[in-house]
Parts: sequence; C-alpha cells; structure tokens
Amino acid sequence: MMAGKNRMPLIAMIAAFLLVLTVACGGASTGGASNGGASNGGARLTVTDKPAGTGPGTLTETGSTLLAPLMSNWAADYHRQVPGVTVNAAATSSGTGIKDASAGTADIGTTDAYLSSGDLVKNTSLLNIPLVISAQQVNYNVPGFNDPGTHINLDGKVLAEIYNGTITKWSDGRIAILNKGVRLPSVPIVPLVRSGNSGDTFLFTSYLSTQYPVWNADIGYGTSVAWPHVPGELSEASNKDMVDTCGRTAGCVAYAGISYLNRAIGNGCGYAALANAAGNPELPSGTTITASVASFVSSTPPNETISMVNGPAPDGYPIVNYEYAVVSTSQRDPAKAKAIRDFLNWAITTGNSMTYLQAVRFEPLPQSVVTLAKAQIARIG
Amino acid sequence: MAARSWAATTPAKLRVLSVALVLLSLAWGALAGWTVSQHSSAASDVVNTEQPLTVAAQQMYQSISDADVTATTTFLSGAEPPLAPLQQYRRDIATAAADLTTLKGAANGNSQLTAAIGKFSASLPLYTSYVAQAQSDNALGYPLTGGSFMQVASEEAHLVLLPAAKTIYSLQDAALTSASDQATSLPPLIVAGVLALITAFVLFRAQRWLSRRTHRVFNYGLLTASAALVISVVWLAATFAVARSDLSQGITYGSRPAGTLAQASIDVQQVRGDQVLNLISRSGDTSFKDNYQQVRAEIGPGPGTLLDTAAASSRGPAVDKITAAKADASSWYTANDQVYNLDLASAYAGETHLVTGSSSPASSGFDRLESDINNAIKDDLSAFRTSASAGANAFGPLEGVLIVASLLMAVACFFGLARRIREYQ
Repeated sequence: MMAGKNRMPLIAMIAAFLLVLTVACGGASTGGASNGGASNGGARLTVTDKPAGTGPGTLTETGSTLLAPLMSNWAADYHRQVPGVTVNAAATSSGTGIKDASAGTADIGTTDAYLSSGDLVKNTSLLNIPLVISAQQVNYNVPGFNDPGTHINLDGKVLAEIYNGTITKWSDGRIAILNKGVRLPSVPIVPLVRSGNSGDTFLFTSYLSTQYPVWNADIGYGTSVAWPHVPGELSEASNKDMVDTCGRTAGCVAYAGISYLNRAIGNGCGYAALANAAGNPELPSGTTITASVASFVSSTPPNETISMVNGPAPDGYPIVNYEYAVVSTSQRDPAKAKAIRDFLNWAITTGNSMTYLQAVRFEPLPQSVVTLAKAQIARIG
Repeated sequence: MAARSWAATTPAKLRVLSVALVLLSLAWGALAGWTVSQHSSAASDVVNTEQPLTVAAQQMYQSISDADVTATTTFLSGAEPPLAPLQQYRRDIATAAADLTTLKGAANGNSQLTAAIGKFSASLPLYTSYVAQAQSDNALGYPLTGGSFMQVASEEAHLVLLPAAKTIYSLQDAALTSASDQATSLPPLIVAGVLALITAFVLFRAQRWLSRRTHRVFNYGLLTASAALVISVVWLAATFAVARSDLSQGITYGSRPAGTLAQASIDVQQVRGDQVLNLISRSGDTSFKDNYQQVRAEIGPGPGTLLDTAAASSRGPAVDKITAAKADASSWYTANDQVYNLDLASAYAGETHLVTGSSSPASSGFDRLESDINNAIKDDLSAFRTSASAGANAFGPLEGVLIVASLLMAVACFFGLARRIREYQ
C-alpha cells in the first residue's frame, strides 16, 4: 500500500531541473569522482582539477560528478577507438560545467539538469544535449533491512515528514502504513542532506514538493533549500560522502545519484522503493527508469529541456533525469567543433551501450531523444 | 543674315522674352507643384501608413513580451489558474497575430523585414504550443514537467520571438523616419527655389529693359507675374517650414520617445518574467539576478537610461507619467532586491509570496510601473499624431495655389508683353 498520488496545485513548483546546479557532488575533485561502479580504464585519460587549453586533438570536459565515472570510461575508450583525440575529464560540479562551457574554458560542460532560461539569455549559443538517463536513489541504514533483496517503501510525504522532523523513528506508524506486514525497528532516523547547491537536492526536493504540497508551501524545491532543523541531521558535501556516511550511521536516510548505488550497497546501505505519482512503490531498475522516461519521450521539445520527476507512468520510478552536455554552438576552431560533434555523437550511440552504462546503472537514451540530440549536435560549428 | 538682323529687332526680342517668361512660369508651377505633391504624399504616408505600421510593430513586440510574462506568472497560480490572466494571455497572442497580418501585407520589397516576419510567423505557433503543453501538464498534476515547458516557451520568446519582433519594429521605425525625412527633404525644394530665382531675375531684367526701352515705368503684366511669384514662393517656403517643424517634432517628441518607452516596458516585463522563471527553475545560479541587474541599469532612472532618454525627448503630459515611472521603478527595484535576497537564502515560501501575492510590492509595483509607462506611450503617440497630422495638413491647398499662380504668371507675362509687341506692328 503506497501513498496516493499527489497532484495538488503546487504553487511555485514547477519546473525544471535546472540548471546551474552547483551540482551534484560538490566540490572540486580529482580522481575522487569515481564511485563504486566505475573504473578509469585508459592510460590516456587525464582527470584534472582544471581543463587545459587545447587544440582539436584534445577535448576538455568539466562538470557533473555524478556523470564523472561514466565520462572517465568514455574518455578512455574513445581514445582507444579514435587515437587522435584525447578527452580530459574534470569532475567538478554541474554549476562549474555550465560556467566553463559558457565561458569557453571547457569544450564540454556536463550537468545533472538542463540550462535555465537565465543562462540561455546570458549566452544564447549554449545547447543542452542529453547524454544518458540517470535516476536518484534514496538510501537508508536500518539494521535488518539493508540486504539488497529487502527494500523499505517510502513516498514523498513520509520523506518530507522525516526531513521536517515530524517523523523521527523508523517504527513510526506512517512508515508502517507503507510497509504492511513489516515491523521496522524503533531506531531514530538520521536525515542526511547535501550542503551547498546540489542537483541532487533539486531532484529530491522536487519529488517531495510534487508529492506533498505542505513541503512545497513551507520549504519548496531547489538546488539549495532551507532545511528544517532536525536534531541529529547531518550535512554532506558530495554523493560519495552521502553514501559513505550513511553506511556508517545507523538509522540514516540519504539521497544520492544512481551511479552511487553500487557504492551504497557496498557500504551496507539499503535503498528504498519510492511511490510514484500513481502511488505504486518502484525500485530504481532499468525497467522502471525506462518506463518513467518513456512517458515523456513524445513531448520532448527540440532543445530537450524537460523535467521528468514524478511522471505519469504507473510502473515508472519517480525520480529520473537526463544527464546533459552543455556545449556552445559557436566554436572558434572548425576542427575542434568537428571533434566535439564526433565525440558527442559517439557518446549517445556507442557510448550508450550497456557495456558502459551497466556499471553506473544509467540507462540509454530512447531513439527519438537520440535523434533530437543529433540534430542539436549538428548545430555545433 | 536676315534672320540675325530680325532677331536683333525689338519686336523679336519681345517675342523671345515672352516665350521665355511663359515657359519659366509654367516650369516653376510644374516643378513647385510636383515638389509639394511629393512632399504632401510623403507626409500623408507618414501619418496614414508608416506610423500605423510602426505602432503595429511596437504593439506586436509589447504583446509578445506581455504574453510571456502573463503566461509565466499565471503558471505559478497552480493547476487551476484564474480566468482573467488566461484571457489576457490570449488577447496578447491575438493582438500579436493581428499585427503580424498587418505587417505581412506591408512588407513587400523589404527582404530584411520579410525575413524577420517569416521568423516571427514560424515561431509564434511553436511558442503557443509550448505554453499550451505547460498549462496542460500543470492542470494534469505534473507541475515540474509543465514548468520545464514554461521555461522552453519563455526561451522561444526571448531567443526568437522578441528578437524578431524587435527587428521588425526597428525596420518599421526606420521606414517611418525615412518617410518623414522624405516629406521634409530639402533638395527638391532647393531646385524649385533656384528656378524661382531665375524666373524672378528674368522678370526683373525684363521690366528694367522695358522701362528703359519704352519709357514706361511699369509693365502691369510682368508686375502681376512678379507679385504672383513672390506670393507663391513665400507660401511654399512658409508651408515647408511649418510642415518640416511639425513632422520633425512629431518624430522627435512623439514617435521616438514612444519607441524608447516601449523598449523600457519590454525590459520591465523581462525583469518580471525572469523573477518568476527563477522561482520556477530554482537553479541556484545567479544568471537571473545578473540579467536583472543588467536590464535594470538599462531601464533607469539614471543618465543615459531608457526612462531618462524618453523623459528628455517627451513633451506635455507624458513627462509627468515618466517622472512617476522613475519613482515607481526605484521602489519596485527595492522589492526585487528583496526577492533575490530571499532566493539566495533559499526562503522559497517568502519569495513565492512576494512575487505572486497580488498586493505584494513586487507584483503591484510591476503593475504600477507598467501602467505609468504605457500611459506615457499613449501620450507620446498622441503627441506624434497631433504634430504629424498638422505637418501633413500644412500642405493643404498649396499645390493648387502654385499651379494657379504659375498659370497667372504665364498669362500675365504673355499679355503684358503682347501689348508692347503690338505697338511695333
């Protein structure tokens, strides 16, 4: 029995995942971007703090740490297949990715959310091109329920009431209603939140806002929100820290990008089945993530800006999103422009095979979205 | 030899002089009449064709901007938005579509204008389809998806529709200025003036020669022709001076500040729209705030800003309204600063209330500022119509007067010299 779907008028909520998130996994980084599922496979791959200025044989990428493990693998394999091109990937943050792509200090920025119209008005030459489908998991550390074969059911309302301090123990009756026949322990709940601006916070609070209007009215959604003070609450700087801390903290609940699921499981965390808009609890699997995205495919606009949180698919996982590449259509060097086009076209075709995606639990783009992405890529010149 | 000796005779000289003066009189009438006809037609074109087209282009530009901010703001009202703003959005779109039809019909031959109109025409249905999708998603309970479509719609408005509308307005405004320049251009008038001087010189020399040759002080025919020439030249010059002044004033103190204010209005709508989109997108970046600071600096008040420029070139009641707009803009900015401060603190509930509350300073301040600016635009356009119509009407009966005067000159010259010629027969 899951929570009923919430579709109240949510004043202020709306839109999109936006943009500029200072994203997902915070902080500048070096090799620390990798997570439990991915590996840097190529000697040619360079992960740097800052992209360097380069000729057409070297592409600089900076941005989403959620995407970083996959980008690392792409970069290594692409160089093996196209030896003349090296991709320098820098795991920074989505906000930095957008900023660098906009300023021309990186050839490709990556972000968990699409550009805001504010960014596009500031720099009209920017495109946001979907690279893969991602999702967000909700992890917990509840003794006795962390086995990968066992999952606690949660919905937006209950999560909101945990994060606003109304529900303080796992044995609370409101959680029990979602988990009929299961007796959860009377362990205090320790909510984990992301510090600073984060694309993951945007996705998570969007889910809470769409499912629980009270949260939307009181707190709302955003890359950063004024979290209600909850005793014992912990604040973490990155996806990696979220799942690592959760693994060490009994009673925790946390949210993180799907590419950190393997790491979370490795840390001994469980992950929840989340109620979708139809009220059905769904786990983040290839089937449920794809089902959720499928309901948006036909209405995806040519610039591929679309929010897919809490969509209408009755069998879909509710927190899904595209990982985007942000690229300028106005490249100074035609050879560099061609190199960028070739790499991005490779990423959304060859790079979208499960060979690359499985380890980080991303899903491939639907064919019609690939077609739209190719049309956008063709504009880079 | 015989012909040369005949030509040297006084009757022959009188006949040549008669023919020359008749031709000069008729040429003066034709040239001056044509000049007046051309200028009068151009002045009429300014008032009856170019100015309405410029107003249509300006209205289309403002309508799209208003539609965008109205649709975006209405979206925040939830799944069941109030009817009034929805109707306002539909009115804006209908107005823009009607203006587009008007402008399409007048774009013949101007490739730049045709291209911009083509771009606008292609984008308008796309824009409305995105808004419809956003409204539909919102009504079905998917506000986040709807919000992303609202953002896509706004991007279409800001990246395609509004730039195209601005181009159309700029080209149409240039056509208005060109028509006004043509209506008051000096070269044809100078040519007519030179011909008038030549005619006057010939008339003067002819009368002096006749006076010396015939010992008659006055030749009444030539005197009448001279008087007709002087009257028609003075009338022509005075009319041009009045028309030029009126049309120039209409452009300088009416049409131009109205255009400047229209741009200010569109910028104000952009600030408001960005404020709402920021609330929708919650991107956590500062791009909307950066855009706000930049656009605010363009709107004014302050030296060189749109409001100050418009105030400097407006006259009459518009000035008071622009003064009010400046004061209202300053207090509205204070409310906007508060909005962005709340955004920075992630205090979305307070930010939402401040942006959407009907009596909040951000919301009511926007309405007041828009009202000030639009009222000033109306005053400026009214000033333009008054001045330009006066300029166009100044030509009045002048064309007929010049033709009659030139015929009178020709007849007077002919009869005035015919009497002298007859004296030698």
